Amino acid sequence: MTTSTTRPRRGGVARALGLLALPIAGLAIIAVIWNIVIWIFDLKPFVLPTPQAAVRAIGVNWSTLAPLTMQTVLETVYGFLIGAALGFVLAVIMSAMKFLQRLIFPTLITSQAVPIVAIAAPLVILFGFGMLPKLIIVAWIVFFPVAVNVLDGLAHVDPDLVRLSRVTGARRVREFLMIRLPATLSPLFSGLKIGATYAVTGAVIGEWTGTPTPGLGTQLLKVNASFKTDVVYGVTFLLTAIGVLSFLIVMAVEAISTPWTRRTTAWRGFRGAIDGYDGAHGSGMSPARADGARTGPQTVGEPDRGQ
Amino acid sequence: MGRIAWLPRPLPTTIVFEIGYRVTDVPKLAASGVSCRFGDVLAVDDVSLTVGRGEFVSIVGPSGCGKSTLFNVISGLQRPTKGGIAIDGVDVTGETGHVGYMLQKDLLLPWRTVIGNIVLGASLTRGATQDDRAEAARLASRYGLGQFLNHYPHALSGGMRQRVAFMRTLALGQDVLLLDEPFGALDSQTRFDMQMWLLSVCRDLNATILFVTHDVDEAIFLADRVIVMSARPGRIARELPVGLPRPRTVDTLTTVMFIDIKREVQAALGHAEAGRAAR
Ligand SMILES: Nc1ncnc2c1ncn2[C@@H]1O[C@H](COP(=O)(O)OP(=O)(O)OP(=O)(O)O)[C@@H](O)[C@H]1O
Ligand SMILES: [Mg+2]
Repeated sequence: MTTSTTRPRRGGVARALGLLALPIAGLAIIAVIWNIVIWIFDLKPFVLPTPQAAVRAIGVNWSTLAPLTMQTVLETVYGFLIGAALGFVLAVIMSAMKFLQRLIFPTLITSQAVPIVAIAAPLVILFGFGMLPKLIIVAWIVFFPVAVNVLDGLAHVDPDLVRLSRVTGARRVREFLMIRLPATLSPLFSGLKIGATYAVTGAVIGEWTGTPTPGLGTQLLKVNASFKTDVVYGVTFLLTAIGVLSFLIVMAVEAISTPWTRRTTAWRGFRGAIDGYDGAHGSGMSPARADGARTGPQTVGEPDRGQ
Repeated sequence: MGRIAWLPRPLPTTIVFEIGYRVTDVPKLAASGVSCRFGDVLAVDDVSLTVGRGEFVSIVGPSGCGKSTLFNVISGLQRPTKGGIAIDGVDVTGETGHVGYMLQKDLLLPWRTVIGNIVLGASLTRGATQDDRAEAARLASRYGLGQFLNHYPHALSGGMRQRVAFMRTLALGQDVLLLDEPFGALDSQTRFDMQMWLLSVCRDLNATILFVTHDVDEAIFLADRVIVMSARPGRIARELPVGLPRPRTVDTLTTVMFIDIKREVQAALGHAEAGRAAR
C-alpha cells in the first residue's frame, strides 16, 4: 500500500484505504508464511492446502455453500441477540437486588464451566433437531461476557453522579435510563464484542449434533470426512469471516451510539432561537461580553477589570 | 414572643425564639444543632446557623472538618444524627429536592451536550421540554457559553465545565444554592474570572448562597458573611460579617478593610488548625 507512506487525508477513500492498509498487510504476511511452510515441508494439498486454494474452493462450491452460510449466519445472529439481551437483563436485575446477585451469579459462573460440547447432544434430545438447541448454545456462550461486563459497569457508576441525581429528586427509572445505563455502555460493548466473536463457535458446535437444516458446521464434518481439505479450510475461512464481521458490526453500532467519544458537538443539537449573542468565543470568561452584541456597555457583568 | 401558628410545621426552638409577626423574619435557611456521626467519627458537631434571604455566606475550615458533610445534610442526602434543617421555616430534614447543590466535582455527563447537562434536573424528574432547553440556551448564552450549546463536555475548558455545572444547579430552579468548592480545580486567573462571573450572576438572581472554599481571599471577596469551622469535629469557630461595598472589583482585594477581615479569618483558621499540624 503506497498510501501508508503519506499521511492519509481526513475523509474519503484514501483515508479508508489507509485504515485498512495495516490489517490487510497482516493477513498477507500470514498467507506468505503459510505458503512458505507448505513449500519447506512439501505438504500435499490434502494435508494442508494453500490459502489461495481454500479461497478458490469457496468460489467453486459457492452454490452449495451460500444457503449453508445463510443458515449459520441466522443461528449466530439470533443466538447472539438472545444471549446479549439475556445477559443484559440478568446484569440489571442482579445489580438492582444484591440478594438475587448472590443467588444467581454463582450459578452463572458454573454454567460456563460446563463443557458446551458435552451438553450439545443432551440439548438436542430435549429440544429436538430444529434451530432451538443451536440458539440455546449460542446464547449460552454470549450471555456470560455481556452479563459480567454490564454488572461490573453498573457497580462502578460514579456514586457522586447518583448523589447528584438524588439531589434533583430524580425518578429511579429516569435515573437508570439517563445516568446508569449510558455509564454502562462502554463495558456493555466490550462484552458484546467478545460475545460476537464467540457466537459462531456456538453455532458450529450446535450444528455438529445433527440437524435437518444444515449449516456450515455440518458441512465442515462432511467435507472433512471426504478429505476435501481445501473446502474444509474454505468453510473455516467463511466461519471466521462471520465472526470478524459480527465484531465489526458491533464496533460500528458502538461508534454510532456513543457519538460523544468522537465528536465535539452533537450531531443533531439544539437549534432553537436564542436572544442575545455570545461574543466571548474560546475562553469566553467575561460576563461583560455576554450580551455585548446587542447592549453594549450596559451589561450583566461586574466591570471587567481583571482582564 | 410572636405567635407562630401560621408555620406549617413546628420549628426547632433555636429558630423560633425571636420570630416576629412578619413572614420575612423567617430565615431562608436554618440549621439547628446539626450533628453528624459516621461510626466513631464525629464529622459535624452541633452546628447551628441561619442564612437570610439573598445572603451569600462563605464557609472555610480545615480539610476534613465536615463542610461537605454539612452540605449533604442541608441538601437532604445525609440524615443528621441530631438536629434539623428548615427552609422558609419548613422542616426539610432528610428531604432532597429543596436546594440546588453543586458538588465538589463538576459531574457533567459526557454523553450529554451543554444544553443537555443544564436541563438534567428536569430530565430526571419530569422530562425536559423544548421550553426547558430554550431557557437553558438563554442562560448559557447570557453567561458566555452561547457558542458551545451543542458541545460535549470533553470539548470544554475547565472553567467552562464549571460554569455549565453551575447553570445546571441554577436550572433546578431552587433559590438556595450550596456550592462546594466550585472553583477549587481552576488556575488562579480563571478562578478570578469565575468569581467575577459568579458575582454578576448573583446580582441578577438574588439567590441565597452557601459557598465552601479553602481560599480565604475568595471567601471574603464573594460573601456577606464568612463562617470559620474548626477541625474535626466540625463546629462553628467564628462568624465574621463582610461589610465590603458592592459591586466588588479587583481593587477590593487590596483595601484596608479586606485585609483586616482576612487577618481575622486567618487568625480564626489558625486556631482551628491548632489542634493539628502547625503551619
Ligand atoms: N459517608 C461517610 N462515611 C464515613 N465517614 C465519612 C463519610 N462522609 C464523610 N466522612 C468523614 O467525615 C469527615 C468530614 O468529611 P467532609 O467530606 O465533610 O470534609 P470536608 O470539610 O468537606 O473536607 P474537604 O475540605 O477536604 O472537602 C471526614 O473525616 C470524613 O472521613
Ligand atoms: Mg469537602
